[in-house]
Order: sequence, then C-alpha cells, then structure tokens
Amino acid sequence: MEIRSAAAQGLASCHLCGKVSPVALGNCPRCHGALHLRKPRSLERTWCFLLASIALYFPANLMPIMTVGGIGGPESDTIMSGVISFWRKGDLLVAAIIFAASILIPILKMLALIWLCLAAAGKTHASPKNLARLYHLTELVGRWSMVDVFVVAILVALVQVGALSTVVPGPAILSFAAVVVLTMFAAMSFDPRLLWDRHTGADLSDTHE
Amino acid sequence: MKRHLPALSWPRLDDAPIQVACPFCDALQEAPRLPEGDAAHCCRCGEMLYQNRPRSLARATAFSSAALIFMVLVHLFPSITVTAGSVRRELTILEAAAAMYREGNPLVAVGAVFFTVIAPLVLVGGLLYVAAPLRFGIALPGAKSVTRWFQLCEPWSMLEVFLLGILVALLKLGSVGEIHLGVGLWALAGLVFCTAAAMAGIDRLELWDRLEIALHKKP
Ligand SMILES: [Zn+2]
Ligand SMILES: [Zn+2]
Repeated sequence: MEIRSAAAQGLASCHLCGKVSPVALGNCPRCHGALHLRKPRSLERTWCFLLASIALYFPANLMPIMTVGGIGGPESDTIMSGVISFWRKGDLLVAAIIFAASILIPILKMLALIWLCLAAAGKTHASPKNLARLYHLTELVGRWSMVDVFVVAILVALVQVGALSTVVPGPAILSFAAVVVLTMFAAMSFDPRLLWDRHTGADLSDTHE
Repeated sequence: MKRHLPALSWPRLDDAPIQVACPFCDALQEAPRLPEGDAAHCCRCGEMLYQNRPRSLARATAFSSAALIFMVLVHLFPSITVTAGSVRRELTILEAAAAMYREGNPLVAVGAVFFTVIAPLVLVGGLLYVAAPLRFGIALPGAKSVTRWFQLCEPWSMLEVFLLGILVALLKLGSVGEIHLGVGLWALAGLVFCTAAAMAGIDRLELWDRLEIALHKKP
C-alpha cells in the first residue's frame, strides 16, 4: 500500500489535539485551534530565534554570571571559571554537570538546529530517521541549560548580608536565560515534517496555510 | 453512540475508523484501537503516535492531586536552611525569585517565577480540572481552553531543572555555614515525580477523545 502524506490530500492534523481535518476549515472542529499543513514560516522563524540566541551566547559566556564578595574582595565568576574552580576543588561531577548544561548543550543544540534547518531546506542530506532522532534530542535536553540561572538565584537568596559573604548576580545571567528561552522557541518553531517532505520530494517549507 | 469495548482502547465519538497523521512525517494512516498498555507507531518512520495507558484517568487524577499537595508544601516549607552565627537564611522558590528581583534582575525573576511556579501550577491544576470530572464523563466549563493552556505550558515547566539547581548550589555552598535540608526539598522531589507521572499517565489523543464525548453529551 502506498503511504501518502496528509498534506497531499489537503488534510492537516491539529497541533493541539491531533485530529485530522481538511485544512480548508481553517480551525480544528474539535478544539478550535488554527489548522496548518505545516507550521507557518517554520524555517524563517527558526533561523530568527537561532541567530538571536547565537548573538546572546557570547555575552552569556564572556560576562560574569555572578560576583562573590568575601574577605579577599569581590570576585567575578564567568560560567567557565566556575567550572574550572569546581574542577580544581576535585568536584569533577559538578564541574561536568555545569559544563554540559551551560556550555556544551547550548552549542550542540544550536549546531543541531542549524543542521536540521539546512537539511529541511535541501542543503545537506541525511536520513530523515537520524534527523528526527536529533530533533528529539534537542527538544529533550534544551531545558536543562536553565540550571545555572537557578543556581545563581538560589545562591543569591541564601548567601547574603551578615556573617556570610555576599553573592550578586552578574550581567550574563539575563543573556544566559534568554539563550535558553530562544533556543527553546527555535526548536518549537521547527517543523520536523519538512524533513520528510524533502525526502519524498515535496516542498512545503513556505506553505502559509 | 458511546460504546466501550472492554480493555480495548478508550471510547471514541465515532465508531468508524479514524485517521491520524504522524507528527513527524505526516504519513496518513488508520488509527487502530489498542489494548491497554500498547502503543501505536507510525507505519513509515516508526515514531510513536499514541499509547493506551492503563487506568489512565485514575492515574492522571491521583498523581496530579498528589502533585498539588506537594506544591503547597514546597511553598510553605524551606528546602535549604543556612545558619551562620546569628544569620539564618531559608530558601523557597519564591524567595529565590525575590532575591533576583531585589538584586536588579526583574526579568530573570519573572522568568523564574513563570518556569517554577506558574507553568507547573497550570500544568498540574489544569490536568486535574479536566481529568477528574472526565472519570464521570463530565466536562467542566472551559475544559477545552484549560486543556489547551496546560498543553502549552508543558515545555516551560522546569521544576526538575530547579531541583538539580538546588543540588548544585548545595555543593557550591560548601563551608558557608551550617546547612539543613528541609521538608521543602523532599516535597519538591515528590512534586517532580508526581508531575511526570501525571503527564505520562494519559495520552493527549485519549484526553481529547474523551473530552469530545463529554462535550457532545451536553445539549
Ligand atoms: Zn484540534
Ligand atoms: Zn511517521
């Protein structure tokens, strides 16, 4: 039996409730969500979010994420210097967690999304099954990058005035949170069905319906 | 009209075979009815399409109510208490966000509140609001919009990430003072577990199919 795509028959599956209806209806008869054959302007929007997150990745890593005030005067920490100090202290596991969550995952996620966008635009070739796996992975791990933002917030709340030293959040914290949110938006606007469209020879990447 | 074959899939509005399109490759295929515990996979790309979870509504209701109770505990009791001399600091989620706000990062504070308080509350509360009455075939007013909202909130609920953040912060605190782990921390772990179990308890397609039937019964 020949497998046909829903889009080829003018059918769209609702992105909220999964019901398949003719795209001509405009809205899903079950949940009233808007019907689209593909996510509207998927690639353009993914590129936009990606470029914004790449731009913010630099201040997020170069500026201090927090400043610890102690007897020896204030000391600023970037993400990387925090990782290194954990490594020196012998906390290899924590160093690895922070390095993976804050530095590795954002970079790999951006590279993965760039590759997915290029593949969906027909610029590179890979099996759609592997690309789908890659997409799943980017969706799964992206949120864990937020861990450093929470760590700083927790330290700021716990270590303040008095006998304790003080911790002040640095300017990188906002750019870092923005990088995580933007890459999540980028992954959400990407439509993995475009990869299969490319594979089967249909091009629906600028479908606006 | 509503016919339920024992141990064979959830009821649907229409007994005629329905079609689903794979969310990953858009292959149009017939949606088979499944025995409990089974999952349907795409015929072209192998992606999982939907599952029939055993005792789905009971599970979703039980785990989301437990999660709500844990959520109250998380906000009432501190997760970590640090004592150094006469200074004593307690950590709750809201206290962490408030500290960010005070230190000149209102945007990050608002984000943190959304990711760790609002999104989880909408997610768990919304699921309970929809799933509990559905056990009796009833849909409360606004059930459709509530379902839409909690589905949209799902990727933004980051309590498990916050929990990891607490663990990392504990190691970073080191010798700052005397550290006590509080009820809030265990409640947070319980909340993370129950939220995950509640969301995995019922398939999205099943929830909407049941919702459709409940709404159809009303005039
Ligand atoms: Zn729908
Ligand atoms: Zn498929």
